[in-house]
Amino acid sequence: MTVAVVENWVEEPLRRFVADARVRLALLLHTSGQVLAQSGFTRSVDVMSACALAAAIHASAGELGKQLDGKPFDVLHHAGRERQIFLAPARTPRGLYIFLSVFDKESSLGLVQLYYGEFVGRLVEAAPPVEPPSVVLPENFEGELNRNLAAHFGRA
Amino acid sequence: MSLVNYATREITCKIVYYGPGRSGKTTNLHYIYGQVPEDRKGKMVSLATQTDRTLFFDFLPLDLGQISGFTTKFQLYTVPGQVYYQTTRKLVLQGADGVVFVGDSQARQLQENIESMQDLHANLAEQGIDARQIPLVIQYNKQDLPSDLILGVPDLEDALNFWGAPHFAADALHGHGVFETLRGISELVLRKLSAGAGAR
Repeated sequence: MTVAVVENWVEEPLRRFVADARVRLALLLHTSGQVLAQSGFTRSVDVMSACALAAAIHASAGELGKQLDGKPFDVLHHAGRERQIFLAPARTPRGLYIFLSVFDKESSLGLVQLYYGEFVGRLVEAAPPVEPPSVVLPENFEGELNRNLAAHFGRA
Repeated sequence: MSLVNYATREITCKIVYYGPGRSGKTTNLHYIYGQVPEDRKGKMVSLATQTDRTLFFDFLPLDLGQISGFTTKFQLYTVPGQVYYQTTRKLVLQGADGVVFVGDSQARQLQENIESMQDLHANLAEQGIDARQIPLVIQYNKQDLPSDLILGVPDLEDALNFWGAPHFAADALHGHGVFETLRGISELVLRKLSAGAGAR
């Protein structure tokens, strides 16, 4: 099982969840659709698409819930014939994240819900304080950006 | 909000193409998708109606390769332009690092352009973002149409570009200006990242 993370504090909780709950895929993402951690995907561009769609489902279900019932639908579960999807928020001191997992007959909704609760608890414990953003790129990045974009567009 | 992974040296940025209905936002993404090599792009996701109008969003992940030692990835989104998809536009705009406003150069669409720009400002403000601070470029699309149907760039600038954002004339259907627009917003977003918060 491969786990890839953008921020290290997420790795151990996610690794443990995937092993305990026996899910096929797991994604932790920002509400804006950007990935924080993933397990089970092979191509990073596929992760980005899955995150965009998961964020969209979460956001639209939330809005739908607000309009129908005055409060957002928090947790969603879809039971397909072979695979099931569990989508839920993960509230941590660093902010609200969205958690998506896909599982099959190797696991069950009850198991996933049980370990999801523990997973969120571990995230809360592991979350470091939010640091102010630091400078990332040197000022002369434009040359490489232009060269790479030109190569993409066949203008190199 | 740009995501920076120092361990794997990766940067991920979210760019949203905004503008009135049928101004050419999806056309921009289709053109980019058609140009970029297979190994540098993911699947283009389009949540559209049966008549191909954008229902929720279009999404295109791009890998721009190494920039200053960081693997740099851009996530390109479009919003649905029609007025009644206001809620959806707000959702897609969440966490945007940069915005491309795609205006329709046709004279009869001027009011729709103005309303869409106002809608953008209002939605940014609702998320606590000052529209003068977020990286923004404006694309005046459909400049290939007959001159009696369209407004020239100076007229469109007067009507839409209050803060002197970089602007590009375009014919997105045939690709003119699409690359320049993407380069323009990429530069602004990465420059803001290199300077910390602040610069447009």
